[in-house]
Amino acid sequence: MDRKKFITNVGRYSILGALLFITGQIFFKRRVSASGQYVWQIDPMKCTQCGRCATECIKTPSAVKCVHAYDLCGYCDLCGGYFKPNTMDLNTGAENQLCPTGAIQRKFVEEPFFEYAIDEKLCNGCGKCVKGCTSFGNGSLHLQIRHDLCDNCNQCAIARVCPSDAIKRVPIENPYLIKGAFTS
Amino acid sequence: MNKKVLYVFLILLAGLIAVLVYTDHRSTQLDKRPDNPYAYDISEFEKVDPAMIHYSETRNIRLGKDKARGISWFDNHIYLVTENNLQVISQEGQQESKMTLTGRPNCIQVVKSGIFIGFDNLVSLYNFEGQLIRSYLSESDSSHFTSVAFLEGLVAVADAGQRVLLLFNEDGTLIRKIYGKRESEDLHGFIVPSFYFDVAFTPDGELWVVNPGMHALENYTTDGNLRSHWAKPSMDISGFSGCCNPAHMAILPDGFFVTAEKGLVRVKEYKPSGELSSVVAPPSSFETGKTAPDLAVTSAGEILALDFDRNSIRIFEKKDQHGS
Repeated sequence: MDRKKFITNVGRYSILGALLFITGQIFFKRRVSASGQYVWQIDPMKCTQCGRCATECIKTPSAVKCVHAYDLCGYCDLCGGYFKPNTMDLNTGAENQLCPTGAIQRKFVEEPFFEYAIDEKLCNGCGKCVKGCTSFGNGSLHLQIRHDLCDNCNQCAIARVCPSDAIKRVPIENPYLIKGAFTS
Repeated sequence: MNKKVLYVFLILLAGLIAVLVYTDHRSTQLDKRPDNPYAYDISEFEKVDPAMIHYSETRNIRLGKDKARGISWFDNHIYLVTENNLQVISQEGQQESKMTLTGRPNCIQVVKSGIFIGFDNLVSLYNFEGQLIRSYLSESDSSHFTSVAFLEGLVAVADAGQRVLLLFNEDGTLIRKIYGKRESEDLHGFIVPSFYFDVAFTPDGELWVVNPGMHALENYTTDGNLRSHWAKPSMDISGFSGCCNPAHMAILPDGFFVTAEKGLVRVKEYKPSGELSSVVAPPSSFETGKTAPDLAVTSAGEILALDFDRNSIRIFEKKDQHGS
């Protein structure tokens, strides 16, 4: 094969590959932005609750917050995301709470169910509750980047050091990866 | 001269860029980062005193592509339901037969009368030739059957969707709904935060139901009266942790319970009184935060754990029984 033919073939196959790639993206409904704009978001299925969302974000407190997928929650009295391990009395005493900033509010619904809500002003995105909920419960608590707080840096400081590559660009049209919605 | 200065400057600039790139790369390495100040170490709960582990895994059967859904054991054969079929597997792991099912099964129980397969809102009874004999239907669309048990003309079905235990006559007539005991302070009916709700009969004919939200096992008469119960909410090895455990339960020929927990995945053996007897498989045998294995027991007391994450059947035997 001469050089000209080789270059022509490479060009053809490149165009064909690109077309196949784009078709594949559309076919498999990959997250492609119609507007071409992307924002950072955490894939909760990859997140390992390493704590870096709290310490590496350029914002103080972090733009990462815990969110609650209520459709996955068991509304349990003994909540692994709320209580420290081996808590004797299941009450809202600060000494019983796992959250270092007391950002989870526990509200009685009916015996024996309790609702857990996140106070985002207090949440620093450390993921401690997420670890407890994932390890002992249904995994309804998870971390998300709040776009009203995030500066959408060109290079996310957390994504740079995320050990599980859980932070990725998602289309601005679908900026959140909420567990109960996209996993079901 | 000017050219020389330019070359030196460019070399220094390239060196500086290289140093910056290298230090930036090094700073993102995990071992170079400061420790997590918010670390929640649950590894302490994964540790089990080896003296408590009275079982060992003696063999396992890999299940190939079919995603397993439930397991039962009867007459030296393993019965398995997957996403769309029923498989009969020999004790040695050879697939002996396979039958396509019309629907996605949730559970299976095989007894002398036939093969009971539970779907979302019905249980189908097949004979050993694979012919449908009859069905046991729920009246509700929100039903989600998770377990079925059979004893002497009585079919008990755990409905996690409705949080109720359904008792049918063998002919398919619904005779009773048991919602669990509510009067006592420490009982609240059946609390089923996720689709784990198990039921089984002991060899003596006692009906035991898991109340997962209460971390309890409850014994009911067939009239729906609570006879006894025991609860073990604890993150320690002696109890059940998390929102809803035990996720699965089976009863050994000697009446001891075998339980499987989700979240902190572990399999344990309990005395009929509720006292921890031994650990079958510690958390280190499974992946943390994954699915609790479904359980079946053989007449010889072997424990079959259907590991959904590895898609394999793991067989555990008492150490003194096989000489290790």
